[in-house]
Amino acid sequence: MSQTIAEKILAAKSGESRVSPGQIVDAYPDLVMSHTATWRSVSVMKKIGARKLYDPKRLAIVLDHISPAKTEKYAADQQTSRNFAREYGIERFYDVDAGIAHLVLMEHGHVKPGDLIVGTDSHCTIYGALGALGSGIGYTEVASVWVTGKLWMKVPTTIKLTLNGRFAAGVSAKDLMLHLIGTLGADGCGYKSVEFYGSALPQMSISERMTMANLAMEMGSKCVFIPPDEKTREWLLPRLKDSSTYEPVYADKDALYERSLDIDLAALTPMVACPHQVENTKPVTEVLGTRIDQAFLGSCANGKYEDLVIAARILKGQKIDPRVRLIVTPGSKQIMLEAMRTGILATLMESGALVTNPGCGACAGDGGMLADGEVSLSTANRNFVGRMGSNKSSIYLSSPATLAASALKGVIADPREFY
Amino acid sequence: MEDKIQGRIYKFGDNVNSDIIIAGRYLIYIDPVQLAEHAFEMLGEGFPAKLRSFDILVAGRNFGCGSAREQASTAIKGLGIKAVVAASFARTFYRNAINDALPIVECPALYEAVAEGDQISIDLARGVVSHAGSEYGFPGIPESVGKILKLGGLANYLKSTLET
Amino acid sequence: MNMVEKILARKSGQQSVAPGDVVVTDIDLMVMHDLSANFVMKVFNNEMENASIADPSKLVFAFDHNFAPATREAAEALAAVRRFAAKHKVQHLFDGGCGSIHHCIMEAGLVAPGMIVIGCDSHTPIYGALGAFATGVGNNSMAALGFAHSKGWFKVPETIKIHFHGTPMQAVGARDVSQYLVGHLGEDGAIYQALEYAGPYIQSLDVNDRSLFPLQAIDVGGKCGFVNPDEKTIRYARELLGDGPAAARLEFFQNDADVRYAQVIDIDVSKIEPQVACPPTVGNVKPIDAAVGTPIDVAEAGGSTGGRLSDIRTLARCFANRKVHPGVRLQVVPASRGIYLAALREGLFETLHVAGANIFPPSAGSNQAFNMGALAEDEVMISTQARNFPGRNGHPKARHFLASALTVAASALTGKIADPRTLEVQ
Repeated sequence: MSQTIAEKILAAKSGESRVSPGQIVDAYPDLVMSHTATWRSVSVMKKIGARKLYDPKRLAIVLDHISPAKTEKYAADQQTSRNFAREYGIERFYDVDAGIAHLVLMEHGHVKPGDLIVGTDSHCTIYGALGALGSGIGYTEVASVWVTGKLWMKVPTTIKLTLNGRFAAGVSAKDLMLHLIGTLGADGCGYKSVEFYGSALPQMSISERMTMANLAMEMGSKCVFIPPDEKTREWLLPRLKDSSTYEPVYADKDALYERSLDIDLAALTPMVACPHQVENTKPVTEVLGTRIDQAFLGSCANGKYEDLVIAARILKGQKIDPRVRLIVTPGSKQIMLEAMRTGILATLMESGALVTNPGCGACAGDGGMLADGEVSLSTANRNFVGRMGSNKSSIYLSSPATLAASALKGVIADPREFY
Repeated sequence: MEDKIQGRIYKFGDNVNSDIIIAGRYLIYIDPVQLAEHAFEMLGEGFPAKLRSFDILVAGRNFGCGSAREQASTAIKGLGIKAVVAASFARTFYRNAINDALPIVECPALYEAVAEGDQISIDLARGVVSHAGSEYGFPGIPESVGKILKLGGLANYLKSTLET
Repeated sequence: MNMVEKILARKSGQQSVAPGDVVVTDIDLMVMHDLSANFVMKVFNNEMENASIADPSKLVFAFDHNFAPATREAAEALAAVRRFAAKHKVQHLFDGGCGSIHHCIMEAGLVAPGMIVIGCDSHTPIYGALGAFATGVGNNSMAALGFAHSKGWFKVPETIKIHFHGTPMQAVGARDVSQYLVGHLGEDGAIYQALEYAGPYIQSLDVNDRSLFPLQAIDVGGKCGFVNPDEKTIRYARELLGDGPAAARLEFFQNDADVRYAQVIDIDVSKIEPQVACPPTVGNVKPIDAAVGTPIDVAEAGGSTGGRLSDIRTLARCFANRKVHPGVRLQVVPASRGIYLAALREGLFETLHVAGANIFPPSAGSNQAFNMGALAEDEVMISTQARNFPGRNGHPKARHFLASALTVAASALTGKIADPRTLEVQ
């Protein structure tokens, strides 16, 4: 009894009956994912002379960060990853056309509640939207998990966040997370697990939960959980190969939390993260009128279908400001297809947007690079110096609604006037 | 791996993030020397060149926050930096540093005490950092994890376990 | 005089001109893409101090190689051109994602029959299908004469007429015939000459397909290419220009009955098979058999020769209820925003997407691998691109074959370069 979700999952995956915070266990992940970095893990395997994988069925590879190759080096690295997948018969291999790794893996039913997932990307925390424990590691460690099947993990303490009330019109999960990151700080949840509860949760869509679990990384979280409910089941069950494997893990009623925080969603307003740290948050009202050169709608934080819909609603029938370059990168092929079918893509194109192929896109500098002095608004999750080009450029982070409103006006704008 | 590390320190503040340490466009490299050429480039003029005359980095909270990119610790090693002392580390950087055999020390008190160019001495075995006549203790890395560091990083550690 | 000579005479204020004459003319439109705009701007800024642009309304910048710059350097280059445009009041700037330069510009209704269009892009001659005299010029002439004086100098070219007749065989289209001509004439087959594409076959084509011919004038060393304006040209141009800015400039110059040619070449298109330009050059054109069976990694239909609505429809027809071969990455790059929207509305993108293709922003696509299109050493691409020189698309040893959209589709289906005549659906 009195175990948190993280404690239960780590106990289960390390063959322990129970664990406690601070304890170091050898855990066996259900899934080890790697993206464009895969070639590096392949080179480690070569370097150490390992040939055999612990369990090829536990690997997933999605080539998402640079899609497609624009230099010979990227092309060669992608080929290395492809060849590795073919050589080892990795079924869960998705090429440069599939989209963002996290979204693709969840869409295809490779993530389920209670899973332990590690990968070459810090935003593995996003899997917590489906009740899985996701945590990022480096490429050498991924190779190690490939070969040994396990890695050491220190059992985290858990912070409990309770959300009550409802968002005001124009305010969304991204604003909630920016508010939290600004309040708790970039290391406010460092090494910790985060569990979300509250009366607001049942109303939150899976897309919003993904945004939350994604952004939680920017508070330093080791992992984050939105406990599965009816919505999770509805979204995930049709995607699972075997629905009998759907076994959510919940915290015990008497689980011990390091800290508890209550948040009233109704009190929240649209937020932005100002250059050059995610924790440098401000209400949008304090930066209204800031000129922008570029607006990026995409990323694993806000490149989902629902996010495109929010933006399209504001942009419908209008033209973006001629000084703004609006880049829209659907998070995955599936998302792009749905946007094609429902007219969302046409609406975005008609407003003057540049719609790219699915992938990580401008978030990680794959296109959309900025020159000296340029400013970009972005729905991604990081605004560190030089991330999108020049170290003399600036990135503001916001929600899709704020982004759309701002693309129309040519300056950072309050989305609430469109609601 | 050396138990005692000493040298001149360069001081950073809080939240030195992964993109500052090594920008995404350089993740095509895994070689420490190539990476070092671009380490901290985003900070502008003089970087990384100026860091090459220092031995140890001392930083505030949450050093290495952001991406899980391993090349952050590789780039620092490539500069010839022998250790990083910080008030706290982001967990991904912490793990990657161990896997890369880059000694890391968590010591908020030292961060407060030092200035750029100071000499410090780290005794990994005793868990003590010395500076200007004072000694500051720091928590050791758990043995099960520390052995990775001692064997020269995860790749070497793995190789040795595979050979047995 | 023929169409080209008439235009050159008119624009240089003369009664008539003849091959060999050097004329100085007014220029109606100067077009540059993101790379050339940057170069010309540098010449203008660095070598022509205190110069001003005579008529900024005649300049068009269309960013097509970069749709969203992938490097800081590219971002700086585009930013510099934007600043230049703002400073000199150049209103026609089409930013990344506008399409392939010439399709973007035509769609914007900026080119009218009868105009002289110069561009720092070797495929500028494409407007010859619209009844314009269009040719590529160097960065220096563009800056020194074009920008500063809205003028250009030309040596009136001799004209070669190619008379196309016959009915093409199944699965052979204008692209194949145009490529065949390049192979037939050779890369130096028409140096400094104008090419007139004529004959019943050309007449049977719509302007969209006719444009594939002058597009490749450069590939035989030609100065420009054109089709003598006819009813189709007139109708197409009127529709294209609508009430837009260039509508009033519309002027049709047609060949006189007694025009003389340096050479007349006769081509029986019924004998032409599907063509492919093999590495290492665009002139290395052979019947498709020479390449059939080569496994491919990437297939691309895009740009001026494969990203038109007709091409996307062709692809969609091929892939209705079919899948792209698992080993192939099929890239579809519409040539303009209008084409992108039309393809969306017609459900073509959905069909292709479901089949496994990837849709890219309107642009030059893999052309010189700015945003896409870099290959590893042993990779192979077949595309509708204009050039396949080594190193242009990643590793110098990567192989790039050029063909029609139909051939690209057939290859993407089978995973190997395929003869489109073996495809069931057309």
